[in-house]
Amino acid sequence: MSMLAAKRALTDIVNNKFLNIVSILTISLSVFILSAFILFFINATDFLDGWRKGVRIIAYMADGVSEEQRQVMVDAIQTSDAAEDIKFVSKEEAYKELKQNIGEQSSLLDGLDKNPLPDSLEITLKDGVRSQEDIEKLANRISGLPNVDDVEYAQKWLHRFNGVYNLFKVTGGVLASIFFIATLLIIANTIRMIMFSRREEIEIIRIVGADENFVKYPLYIEAVLQGFLGGVIGIVTLFLAFVLTVPGLSMEGAFSFFEMRFIPVKFSLAIVLCSMMIGWIGCYFSIRKFLKL
Amino acid sequence: MFVMHKDNTIIRMFRVSKRYGKMEALSDLTLEIRNNEFVFITGPSGAGKSTMIKLLYMGEIASEGAIIIDGVYMERITRKQIPHLRRKFGVIFQDFKLIPTKTVFQNVALVLEVLGVKPKEIQPRVMEALERVGIDDRAGELPPVLSGGEKQRVAVARAIVGEPKIILADEPTGSLDPDSASHIFQLLQEAHATGTTVVVATHDQHMINTGHGRVIRLVKGHLNPDDEARRIERGMDP
Repeated sequence: MSMLAAKRALTDIVNNKFLNIVSILTISLSVFILSAFILFFINATDFLDGWRKGVRIIAYMADGVSEEQRQVMVDAIQTSDAAEDIKFVSKEEAYKELKQNIGEQSSLLDGLDKNPLPDSLEITLKDGVRSQEDIEKLANRISGLPNVDDVEYAQKWLHRFNGVYNLFKVTGGVLASIFFIATLLIIANTIRMIMFSRREEIEIIRIVGADENFVKYPLYIEAVLQGFLGGVIGIVTLFLAFVLTVPGLSMEGAFSFFEMRFIPVKFSLAIVLCSMMIGWIGCYFSIRKFLKL
Repeated sequence: MFVMHKDNTIIRMFRVSKRYGKMEALSDLTLEIRNNEFVFITGPSGAGKSTMIKLLYMGEIASEGAIIIDGVYMERITRKQIPHLRRKFGVIFQDFKLIPTKTVFQNVALVLEVLGVKPKEIQPRVMEALERVGIDDRAGELPPVLSGGEKQRVAVARAIVGEPKIILADEPTGSLDPDSASHIFQLLQEAHATGTTVVVATHDQHMINTGHGRVIRLVKGHLNPDDEARRIERGMDP
C-alpha cells in the first residue's frame, strides 16, 4: 500500500510539475529567509560572545612582592575555579608594552626617573564565567588577597555591554519566532493552495470508489517531499551564498577574534525536518477540509 | 454493512426526497430498477435527474426516504463503507470529469488501482477498455487535447473498466455533437448487453426514442403521474 502510494505520489509530482515547482520554490524561499536570519543571529551572538571573552581581570600587586608570595596569590585565585589562565606581567614588561603602545610619544616616558608601573597578574576567565555578577565576585575576592593593591576590569563597559547583549538576544528571539510563524503559515498555505487547486481531482478519485487512505497517502507523501525539497534547496542556497560571500568579509584588527560560521549541521537538519513537518500539517488541514465535500 | 435480501431488483428508492434549503429537488420518489435493466431518467431541466444520480452514488445524501443498492441499505452504511458502495458503479458525467494532468491511460487505470487490481493486470485491462471505446491510440494523451466526444469515450472506458454492476450516466451526450452522442449511446448499449444495469439521466429525446430502455419521467422532482413507478407502489410489475 505504502509503495503504491509512493509510486502514485511520484507520478502525481511529475503530472503536476508546474504546481510542484512553484510550491517547492515558495517553500525554499521561506526557508532561505528564515535560515538567513538564524545565520545572522548565530554569528552576531558568536561575535558578542567573543567580545565578552576579551574581558580580563588585572590584579596590581604591591611593591616588593616576592616570588613565593606571588605564587600564594596565584594558588588562591586558581581555587576559585573561575580563572582559565593567570599570567604574570612584571613591571618591566608592562613598561615595555606601554612604550610600544604609545609609539612616537614614548619619549615622554624618558623623563621618568623610575618605572611607575606595578607588577600585575592578568586573569583570563573560563568560558562559563561571563556574567557581570561572576566577574564582580571574582574581582572582589582577588582584591581581598594580601599584597593586592588594586583590581581592574571593564566594569562600566561590561555593564553596558550586558544590556545590549540581552536586548539583542530578546529581540532576536522575538524576531526568530515571528519569522518562524511566517514561514510556517507560508508553507502551510502553499500546500493548501496546491490541495485547493486539486480538489476536483480529489473529488473524481473519490467518486470512482477510492477510500480516504487512497486519497490521503500520496498527498501526504507529496507534501512532505515538497517540504523536504524546499527546505534542502533553501538551506543549500544559503550555504552557497555564505561560501561565496564570507571570504570577502575577513575580520581584521580588533575583530580578529571572530570567525563567521554557517548554521550547524544539526540545526540545518532541524530546519529541513521542520519544513517537512509543516508540509505534513498543511496537508492534514487541507485534506480534512476537502474530504468533507 | 446492512444487506437486504437479494432479488432481481438492484436499485430501490422508497419515498426519497432531497431538499437544498427550502428548495425540494426530489420529492417522495419511489421506484425500482431491475438487474440488467436499461433505464432513461428524463424530464426538463431542474426536474431532479442529476440529483437522483447523485443520490445513487452517494454524491449527496437523501433528506428523507430509503435507497437500497444491490441489497445494501444506504442509510445504514458508515462513512468508511461509502467507497465500497461506489465501486459498484461506473459513473459518466456531462462534463466528463477527467483528471486533466493524468493521461488517458492513467485516468482509466485509476479505477483499477482503487479496486486493488495487481499492477501487471492493469495495463491489459485498461488497453482492452480503451479498445472497446475506440480510443486506444490516444492512451498517452492528456485530456485537454482531446475533443468532447473523445473525452466522453475515455469517461465511458473508465466507467466500464472495473466491470461495475451499474453504470450511471448524467447527461452523457449533453455537450456532444450528434455523431459523438450516437457513439456514446452505442457504447452504453454494449455495456448493457454484457449484463450491466445502465441508468441514464438525459433529455436527449433522440436517444430515448431509438433506445429500448424503460423511461422514467421526472417533473419538478416528482415522478410523472402516468409513470410506471406508480404501478410499483401498487405492487404491480414495472
